[in-house]
Amino acid sequence: MKWGMVIDLQKCTGCGECAAACKLENNVAIVAHKESEMGRTMLWMDMLTIYEGEYPRLRVRQIPRPCMHCDHPPCTKVCPVRATYINEEGIVAQIYPQCIGCRYCMAACPYTVKSFNWYKPSFPPGMARTTNPDVSVRPVGVVEKCTFCIHRLQIAREQAKSEARDLRENDYQPACGASCPTGAIVFGDLENANHQVNRLAHNPRATKLLEDLGTEPKVIYLKEVD
Amino acid sequence: MKHWELFVIPTFFLFFISGCSDSASFSQPIAYNHKKHIEEAGLGCFDCHTQVLTHQKANIPNVEFCKNCHETPMTDSKEEEKLVGYIQENQPIPWIQVHRVPDHAYFSHRRHVSLGKVACQDCHGDVNNMTLPFSKPFYPIKMQFCITCHEKNRVNTDCATCHR
Repeated sequence: MKWGMVIDLQKCTGCGECAAACKLENNVAIVAHKESEMGRTMLWMDMLTIYEGEYPRLRVRQIPRPCMHCDHPPCTKVCPVRATYINEEGIVAQIYPQCIGCRYCMAACPYTVKSFNWYKPSFPPGMARTTNPDVSVRPVGVVEKCTFCIHRLQIAREQAKSEARDLRENDYQPACGASCPTGAIVFGDLENANHQVNRLAHNPRATKLLEDLGTEPKVIYLKEVD
Repeated sequence: MKHWELFVIPTFFLFFISGCSDSASFSQPIAYNHKKHIEEAGLGCFDCHTQVLTHQKANIPNVEFCKNCHETPMTDSKEEEKLVGYIQENQPIPWIQVHRVPDHAYFSHRRHVSLGKVACQDCHGDVNNMTLPFSKPFYPIKMQFCITCHEKNRVNTDCATCHR
């Protein structure tokens, strides 16, 4: 079992629904404007801005960018306390109570997917009580990142077991995939031939970010057709 | 050293030590007797804690549930008198939660009790013979306690199985 994601850029409109859903689902702290300008914005699912062509034929696109959950993750290799590691199912997990906040992993990640909690997490008035109880609110001084909504896997697996059946494809979907209005984000088991993600990963349009680094990302993009 | 220091310093020290040890224990609003309910009333754990087998979180029964038996006093116990007071005023009993798993850990009662067949006593201690309610956890809620049991029963010990 190897969890992975396919993002079809032909279908993606860059609306940012996935980023908003992720932020709410995972209790990602909201950083004030001043701190945000210092590069301390916290986003697990970021929207990369890509500029194509030149004026007057300039085209700007937004591309969703979660954690790549690499098969050879550079972040886990530099963590001195094993707070980040890759598990048997290919998820690069982040264990917050173990993290000492050295930020080596942030420096090592070529995709810059990790965020550091510079401040005690704060939410606007009224929002503090709407945090998702299935996900912890991270304390100050630890690094956090996309976990492929692993809490949903924990819950889905328990539900499947209580019904004495195997985990189905739709049982476990991260918030970004579940919220995507155009169905551009597909999630599933890359090793299971019955999962849609397996078929899409072998599509000729499939590409990976910074593929030449050898990190073997498990987030696969499907290029646009011109 | 002056004479008063000989008295004051050890006294402060004793206050400090006693304060530390008592900080983890609570006093509950009613001296609930588990033993009596199990042995005399013939109740089982899941008769009152109804969510244990089906939900992630267990529950403490509310006054509506207690009312089934205690709408009018069954004994002349002063503790039951308090309960009847809560029932008549239809006020929730302000129980203090003693067992609290940190929010960075995923713990499900259904998974452990219903699917894993773990006995209540394995984590909560000898509740059957408890004559007073919990004032502190029977076993400390520490990761090592979980890991020891997981390793003994050869259950997954991958960090991401529980951490979130």
